[in-house]
Amino acid sequence: MGSTSGEATAEDMNDVQDAKLIAEGTLLDPFVHKHPRRFYAAMRRLDPVHYDKSIDMYLISRWEDIQAIQRDPLTFSVNKGYHEQQAKGFAEEFQQILREKGGGYFPDAIMSDPPYHTRVRKLMENAFTAHRVKELEPRIEAVVGGLIDEIADRGSMNAVTDFAQPLTIRIICEQLGLDWSIKDKIARWSTAVTAQIGRMQDRAEMLEHAAQICELQHHIIAAMREWQAQPREDMISDIVHAKEGDGEGSVLTFEEAVSLVRALLIAGNETTATALSNLVFILATQPEVLAKLQQSADDDKLMNRFVEELLRIEPPVRGLSRMTTRDVELGGKLLPQGAHLLLMYASANDEPEVFPEPRKFDMDRTNIMKHVSFGGGVHKCVGIALARMEIKVAARQLVRRLGNFRLAIDENAIAFLPTVATRTMESLPVTFERIG
Amino acid sequence: MGGVVATLIQPDGTAVRIADAQKGESLMEAARRAGVAGILAECGGACSCATCHVFIDKLWFSKVGDPDQVEEEMLDMVDYIRRPTSRLSCQIRLHEGLSGLVAEVAPEL
Repeated sequence: MGSTSGEATAEDMNDVQDAKLIAEGTLLDPFVHKHPRRFYAAMRRLDPVHYDKSIDMYLISRWEDIQAIQRDPLTFSVNKGYHEQQAKGFAEEFQQILREKGGGYFPDAIMSDPPYHTRVRKLMENAFTAHRVKELEPRIEAVVGGLIDEIADRGSMNAVTDFAQPLTIRIICEQLGLDWSIKDKIARWSTAVTAQIGRMQDRAEMLEHAAQICELQHHIIAAMREWQAQPREDMISDIVHAKEGDGEGSVLTFEEAVSLVRALLIAGNETTATALSNLVFILATQPEVLAKLQQSADDDKLMNRFVEELLRIEPPVRGLSRMTTRDVELGGKLLPQGAHLLLMYASANDEPEVFPEPRKFDMDRTNIMKHVSFGGGVHKCVGIALARMEIKVAARQLVRRLGNFRLAIDENAIAFLPTVATRTMESLPVTFERIG
Repeated sequence: MGGVVATLIQPDGTAVRIADAQKGESLMEAARRAGVAGILAECGGACSCATCHVFIDKLWFSKVGDPDQVEEEMLDMVDYIRRPTSRLSCQIRLHEGLSGLVAEVAPEL
């Protein structure tokens, strides 16, 4: 027990350090980028709606404020926020390249506001219901099983490139009906698309990424033209032939459909792969969680809770954008119209007032569904059921067939992709033993 | 046309009578149209988010029926507010036999 004055001093010191961190820190700072939680906690405590001048955005760090934003999609525009973020600093040149060499510049139809968004979202939803995904479970089991067959006897792997990425790419190729031979391209395309909302690319990188996106668009446009003529049983067909009601707007335009297929191929892929890398990280660093899963791999309800807590404790998405369409007060601060916001999901998930002992991996949290890793409101992730299923099946098979997972890299040496959009490990070397 | 009436009791205790619910639509869709408080339906009716959770009136539950396995797994995630007659309203397809249905909207997560 320290003296009262001693505790106060320690707290004051914390305040001073946190205030300094906020005043000098930025999301682009390499240390903050790698260890963002201290920065998030300082913001939540001292400046919950914090202006980060290096990216000219307000960082939203509290659960309650993120929730308020998600519930008011007209005041906090995804359309303006997302497209403002896209290729920031090079937007005109980026769009020009896609128009001239990529078959067209197709704004993301799903990154829009109601009522337009309501129509597009409805046309996408049928492909993604939990019941539809349930039917995919045997296929996902087979893909995961095949991948584990390939690595089981090796004793070590890079969890990112040997497991997480190939798994999600194989599933999304199957679901979209695309040929597996493009697997290497998809990883590159994903990086290129995600970098456009990452705020950490220079012009040379933008040009390289734009070239990748041109190649991606030519590929999906060719596939869609073929599918248009001849419907098949896959998600590209679902999108190309989607119809809700009659008359104007009951189907998607070709431009909208291209943007949606692109989003399905990339958005769900990158984030799910990140979640699967995080899954392996948890198995390698939290032996008591691994032990519990090994005892309960057949318990669907426990596995569901594991997936949700994994997503809460390590959200794949770092931050997505909004832009205010009017002057509005948020978290005690008056934001002007046109303020560009970044929603810091990991910060909200880490708030001790909402999730007691937030760094504890606790599958028994009663309010486990309150995490914001899938966003919320009308923009809540449309691929939520598929993402959960992929993670659950992967976790189940990993703990049944492999054991004794260990990091083969110092935890502090793990590098993250240079982007403010996701928190994605670049590489995760681990060792393990085959047990089944 | 129409033909289904449903009454939902909002979290603040006030009741909303939906007189124009359509056969074939879900209870969630009818409730959203009527602006019933507490029916957020964030996933859009995909049985993936548990934000359209209702407690069916005991007298109506046998007509509405039990959740299937997929819905059961989602309800389990909100176990701490769940009751024996819990259902996700996006999974309840309305038909004439359900006209007069009464349910209470579950509190927010």
